[in-house]
Amino acid sequence: MNNENIVEIKNLRKGFDKGKITALNGIELNIKKGEFVSIIGPSGSGKSTLLNMIGALDRPDEGSVRVAGYDLQGKGDLSQFRSREIGFIFQLHNLIPNLTVVENVEIPMFESDLSSKNMRKKALKLLDYMNLSDKASRKPTELSGGERQRVAIARSLANDPSIILADEPTGSLDSKNGEMILKLLKDLHDKENVTLIMVTHDLNVAALAERTIEVLDGKIKT
Amino acid sequence: MSFLGLIVKNPFRNKTRTALAVVGIAIGIATIVALGIITDGLKSSTEETLKAGGADFTVVETNVSDMFLSEIDTSYVDKIKEVNGVDDAVGILMSIQPVENNPYFVIIGIDPAKLALSEIKITSGTEFSSADAKEVMIGKVASQKLNKTVGDTITLGKEDYKIVGIFETGDLQQDGGTYMSLKNVQTIEEKEGKVTMIYVKIKKDANVEEITKTIEDKYSKDLTTIASLEDLQNVDQGLNTIDTASWAISLLAIVIGGIGVINTMIMSVYERTREIGVLKAVGWKDRRILSMILGESIVLTLSAGIVGIIMGLVAIQVLLVLGMSGFIQPVYSMDVFLRGILVALIVGLIGGFYPAYRASRLPPTEALRYE
Repeated sequence: MNNENIVEIKNLRKGFDKGKITALNGIELNIKKGEFVSIIGPSGSGKSTLLNMIGALDRPDEGSVRVAGYDLQGKGDLSQFRSREIGFIFQLHNLIPNLTVVENVEIPMFESDLSSKNMRKKALKLLDYMNLSDKASRKPTELSGGERQRVAIARSLANDPSIILADEPTGSLDSKNGEMILKLLKDLHDKENVTLIMVTHDLNVAALAERTIEVLDGKIKT
Repeated sequence: MSFLGLIVKNPFRNKTRTALAVVGIAIGIATIVALGIITDGLKSSTEETLKAGGADFTVVETNVSDMFLSEIDTSYVDKIKEVNGVDDAVGILMSIQPVENNPYFVIIGIDPAKLALSEIKITSGTEFSSADAKEVMIGKVASQKLNKTVGDTITLGKEDYKIVGIFETGDLQQDGGTYMSLKNVQTIEEKEGKVTMIYVKIKKDANVEEITKTIEDKYSKDLTTIASLEDLQNVDQGLNTIDTASWAISLLAIVIGGIGVINTMIMSVYERTREIGVLKAVGWKDRRILSMILGESIVLTLSAGIVGIIMGLVAIQVLLVLGMSGFIQPVYSMDVFLRGILVALIVGLIGGFYPAYRASRLPPTEALRYE
């Protein structure tokens, strides 16, 4: 494995519904450590499936996927990999409604060795970074859409991941909030040197990335 | 926030559903607790009857299903007195007669000469004087319930008896009834020459086990000795039946409660499918998700356990207020409360396991797609 590549995908194939639907049809992709890559393509092209494969939420039918030194095609438990290496940001924030903002940020830390006191400390620091310190003890329902997505970003950073996977992170936001989230993600990439992989169907959003990959019919368009 | 804190918080998200589930399970637990309190009271009052008058053990007829049905020939009283180590023996005839509105009025017949042995405390009046006198002593509770005192008369069987004294033993069954001469009870019951049981007092340095063994060996065809509640349960089917019924109801409560918990927790998992997907995406192990749901289920049932115990205690108070105080003498032992909590715990574990297992096995991508 090339030391510079954090993601190495060879001949990745994935089908659904007992093979009736081919989502990914021989993907070859390398992503360098610290790179900001956007994945574009029409809906149903397989871009979200590709992102789920990189994040080990799903397993390939064929081919090899190596991310941050982990082989993801095996049968073993990949929760540790997700906990240590990956931060997910979804189109919908997916925050837990009965927990406060700061408790939501703490959720991924349960799989770390931090004490609950240190979990709180770190979560508050992340919220401060997202400029949400004053909302820490609010419930997600009391926040605006943009604020909720910022909480979701803080949550994705909880375990200091090496890769952030964002699936349409601005998809449910208005343009002003969308811009703010994109700026935050770009800052995160520029300042913290995390690898950022973002799925979007918006070409303007994609243009922010250093490299844009287009997926069409389960293949990367070259 | 600690993991435990999260587990405790989660079930109260949907307050109505949780409250309904808690009440459903709590009713079962309340039944177990209330029944336990009554059963324990029954056992303790039976034990007190056995030990009345400071008897070291009691002799009853062999092979009777209920102690009250025992019938021994009075000649045995003298035979037992002669057994080595026995200090004194006194024959008692018990009877239940309806008196006014109480269908279970307990009558204890005893030789007036032996009344001193029975160690009952006379609070007013005197003892009944002779075997033939139509006199009775009634218990304090009976005196209050019947609104009768020294000088009044009471009808037992076909005859009127004069109340000469009021006594107190502390045992509900005795205090709710009467003491009178053995001969009079034998006449009322038409059981001349018979007694229900024989109270036996042993000499100071004598050994209870040796004496009971001697008696049982010698008169094994007719007599059985009871020196403890365990001995009694071997003889008295009534207490065993109550015990069995109590366990059957506990089992029923576990089954019904368990189904309620499964239903509640499956609904809860179903509603949170997407959230469980997120927990998997952020790196939670399957085991942690299983522990969380199972923990929530236990929080639910333990809350029901506490509510159930309170409901059980309230139910007992209501029964007492409604005038059952003549029949039940509640005994509040730690055992009963622990049983309630234990049942709650078992229901939580059994009912929570399947929903928890299902949640932990959800494929993350499918869970995240769930709308």
